Amino acid sequence: MGLFSRRKTVTVDSDVLVIGGGMAGCGATYEARYWGRDLKIVCVEKAKIERSGAVAQGLYAINTYMGMHWDENQPEDHVRYARNDLMGLVREDLGYDVARHVDASVHQFEEWGLPIMRDPETGRYQREGKWQIMIHGESYKPIVAEAASKAADEVYNRIMVTHLLMDKTKPNRVAGAVGFNVRSGDYYVFRAKAVIVCAGGASHIFKPRAVGEGMGRTWYAPWSSASAYGLPIPVGAKMTQMENRIVLTRFKDGYGPVGAYFLHLKTYTENAYGEEYESKWYDQTKDLVGDYIDMHPVPTCLRNHAMLEEIRAGRGPIRMVTTEAFQDPHKETVGWENFLGMTIGQAVTWASQNIDPKHTNPELTTSEPYVMGSHATCSGVWSSGPEDFAPDEYQWGYNRMTTVDGLFGAGDTIGGSAHKFSSGSFAEGRIAAKAAVKYVNDLSGEQPQVSEQEYESLKQEIYQPLENYKIGRNEIVAGTVSPSYLLPMHGLQRLEKIMDEYVGGIGANYMTNEPLLTRGLELLDMLKEDLTCLGAEDLHQLQRAWELHHRVVASEAVTRHTMYRKETRWPGYYYRGDHPKLDDKDWHCFTLSRFDPESGEWTMEKVPVYHIID
Amino acid sequence: MFTSNPFAELTAFLPPIAMQAYTVLMVVAVVAGTILDMLHKSSAKFFALNSKKSKARAKRTLRGAETVSLAARTIAKEVVTSGEFCSQQRRISHLFMFYGFFAYITTTVVMIFAYPTPEMATPIFIPMLWHIGVLMIMLGGYWFFFLLRANVVHDGQPVFRLVEADLFIVTLLGSVTFALIWRIVETGGNVTMSKIAFGLYILFTTVLFGTVRWSKFAHMFFKPVVAFQRRVEEAEGSSALPSSTPHQEAR
Amino acid sequence: MPTFVYMAQCDGCGECVDICPSDIMHIDTKYRRALNIEPNMCWECYSCVKACPQNAIDVRGYSDFAPLGHSVRTLRDEAKGTISWKIQFRNGAEKNFVSPIRTTPWGSIKSPAEYEPPTEEMWNSQELAQEPKTLKVDELPALTREQFKPGVI
Repeated sequence: MGLFSRRKTVTVDSDVLVIGGGMAGCGATYEARYWGRDLKIVCVEKAKIERSGAVAQGLYAINTYMGMHWDENQPEDHVRYARNDLMGLVREDLGYDVARHVDASVHQFEEWGLPIMRDPETGRYQREGKWQIMIHGESYKPIVAEAASKAADEVYNRIMVTHLLMDKTKPNRVAGAVGFNVRSGDYYVFRAKAVIVCAGGASHIFKPRAVGEGMGRTWYAPWSSASAYGLPIPVGAKMTQMENRIVLTRFKDGYGPVGAYFLHLKTYTENAYGEEYESKWYDQTKDLVGDYIDMHPVPTCLRNHAMLEEIRAGRGPIRMVTTEAFQDPHKETVGWENFLGMTIGQAVTWASQNIDPKHTNPELTTSEPYVMGSHATCSGVWSSGPEDFAPDEYQWGYNRMTTVDGLFGAGDTIGGSAHKFSSGSFAEGRIAAKAAVKYVNDLSGEQPQVSEQEYESLKQEIYQPLENYKIGRNEIVAGTVSPSYLLPMHGLQRLEKIMDEYVGGIGANYMTNEPLLTRGLELLDMLKEDLTCLGAEDLHQLQRAWELHHRVVASEAVTRHTMYRKETRWPGYYYRGDHPKLDDKDWHCFTLSRFDPESGEWTMEKVPVYHIID
Repeated sequence: MFTSNPFAELTAFLPPIAMQAYTVLMVVAVVAGTILDMLHKSSAKFFALNSKKSKARAKRTLRGAETVSLAARTIAKEVVTSGEFCSQQRRISHLFMFYGFFAYITTTVVMIFAYPTPEMATPIFIPMLWHIGVLMIMLGGYWFFFLLRANVVHDGQPVFRLVEADLFIVTLLGSVTFALIWRIVETGGNVTMSKIAFGLYILFTTVLFGTVRWSKFAHMFFKPVVAFQRRVEEAEGSSALPSSTPHQEAR
Repeated sequence: MPTFVYMAQCDGCGECVDICPSDIMHIDTKYRRALNIEPNMCWECYSCVKACPQNAIDVRGYSDFAPLGHSVRTLRDEAKGTISWKIQFRNGAEKNFVSPIRTTPWGSIKSPAEYEPPTEEMWNSQELAQEPKTLKVDELPALTREQFKPGVI
């Protein structure tokens, strides 16, 4: 900060630029140093890496661990599991790749100091389920951030990256990024040879269930503002499976996790009258999706579907039966610590409503939809796979490189690669980093060039909301209502309403169809136009403004992909009212989109799914 | 400069009663301002209610000696050594301002009431202490203003964009800075400039003490009270904080 | 449950401003103390609560659905490597928990640059740093095209 607040332009040069300091970003930063001893590695994060990203409050389980050295699981088993859960549509090459590496990252976490619970009988990691192990992960993020800090040349905290910069000497090649310092307001121009996008997926694009203060209690972090999509889409990177949004069954209101309860505490669900209900919907579901209902375990979306149907039939609320399990003091401790190490809000919610699972069976609910690449669904950029075995159509030189040269991704950013969670995202960051360092070395001295004209014009655009507010403010007495500018929160709530009503949110019971999606695009178009009229009172609001920009870009992709896929592949996540059944004949494929930065047009295409594992 | 009584020298153009009346007025302003602030906010009611609620939750009662010991610890730590500040730099800067102010105010009152005219020989340590007090306030204060204010250091605000919370520190620094300037100019011999500097000194001092109602002054008393209350809660078992940690042992 | 700051305990140190992942903890310009400026973007991650050296930040459940009279407070001790929690229900029931947070000293992680640099062989393989040692198996698993499911190119 200066004495008289004059805005500076700060230029940062690096070999590898990691955008986002979450699990994937910390993995990428860490690994890049190992392979690029003499390279300049820079990580840039919009918050502070010690607690940024979805793992801010910690985690109570690591959901992706093979346990290969104990013969517990092999990578191909995980591919089958993820494939089943996604109703057949995953990038099996990417999935195998993450699964074969992930154990190493987990062992590394333990070496660094993450307390991993041990099974007292076997001495192995305490399993929560087939893929999950239990940890005391309150400090998971600070520990991982420490590793990244040791590896990076520089970590820039509180810089919001808003745009990627392209190489002016060679088409379709990235050259860096720009953003602003959320504290000082200074303009940052990052010039890099390779860029790894490890930013967050999309929360807050659909209207959440709680709309007052409770807006903050989204299942996925409210600061996951879709920059994983908002950065690559405008530069023409191809995207895949953006329709594959996730809806989660979680504890009511607090959205606390149910995994440990189901798997470790062996709880189960029942309807309002104490009846088992899932089996009631077997035939109806089979009619919709065919043999997929017979998979073990039952795909997550189909379990959601049964619950939604039961509630629609008027037999909600659905509850989880905990009173039996909670009589065991060890299980009771696990049940509470599960929240304290991962979703403290659930403990607060229960304390506030006097819900003690020992005496009350708590309510479950289905969440509003989220779009991301690291959890049980896989929306994101279309990327190249591992060099050793990816099918030709999935491989174009460097692992985890997008269709833009030099632009890599990891974590939420990468599409088609499901069930990574925290450890898989970290591992994917490492995978992308090795490839990015190789890419930098292969450039051998050639340096992508940023265009000064481009970043100077972006600078105008980036700070415009501050200008809009300052000038527009002269028109009104006071308050939030102005005819000439929109506050970022106004834009966000409008976006959430559009997506909710037209693209299958909770208000529509996750239902949509082509007429609705068409109207949704029209409304999104007007919102996009209105984004030029955002007004930001200060730098915090400016950050909110650019988070909204990224969310709107992602939402348009989600809407277009949802319209393109003419089937209901994942009932329980969303439904196409005009194509209510799963259609393996025409739609056993990935959807791909590309926004053309020159023409402003979107093109959609199908890409085959190769089942390389039997 | 450092050894002569600045207020005695004023009698060249101001009768001693003027400064004495002004001092009394400032004391009244501070007391009235603090009381008005507390009445306006019902602070006393709040603390009393809080204390009652906390006693209702208490799992054990403190003996008299225990309570006294907790109070003594609060005075020793929070009050005497500005222990309420976790940042070492803020703590040190506050100590400079706190003790500097103490020295400056006591010597001011002593000089104005006990040695109001140049004929009465002021022991030289008194004006020396006055000047030291002024310098200490300036050291702690300017350090705080330029390098330690949280809204500047952590929240990115520019140094010279003044906010409501700056009322106290700006008027305090204005007051003691013009006090020093007045002394320097006075020593130099320019009577007009020295009167102007003195006028500005009095202006800032008046605003400093007159705006106590709207500044954070009252909190100077609230904070040790609350620190004491927290210690009592821990000892009585009525604290909402969990118990097993050395964090408490340090307190 | 968004956070709030106790007036008489906050000394305006700015730790919460530095750590908040949502950029919502800021310094109030009237009192120069911390303030949650956007409770509806508060995830209740407790990062600020844990970072506050004065324990001056607390949480009150979201007004949308959390009745008053509850409390979930914590003390995180980096030196001891533990975190303690006290949960108080609206009806007065209380639960206490303590968990480990780290098994090694803070700052003790080795930089990857301290390891032997990778060999040419490692570069050409699919192995990441320290593999296969850190995988605890002899070899990094791989697929060959011959192993692909029949019918896949």
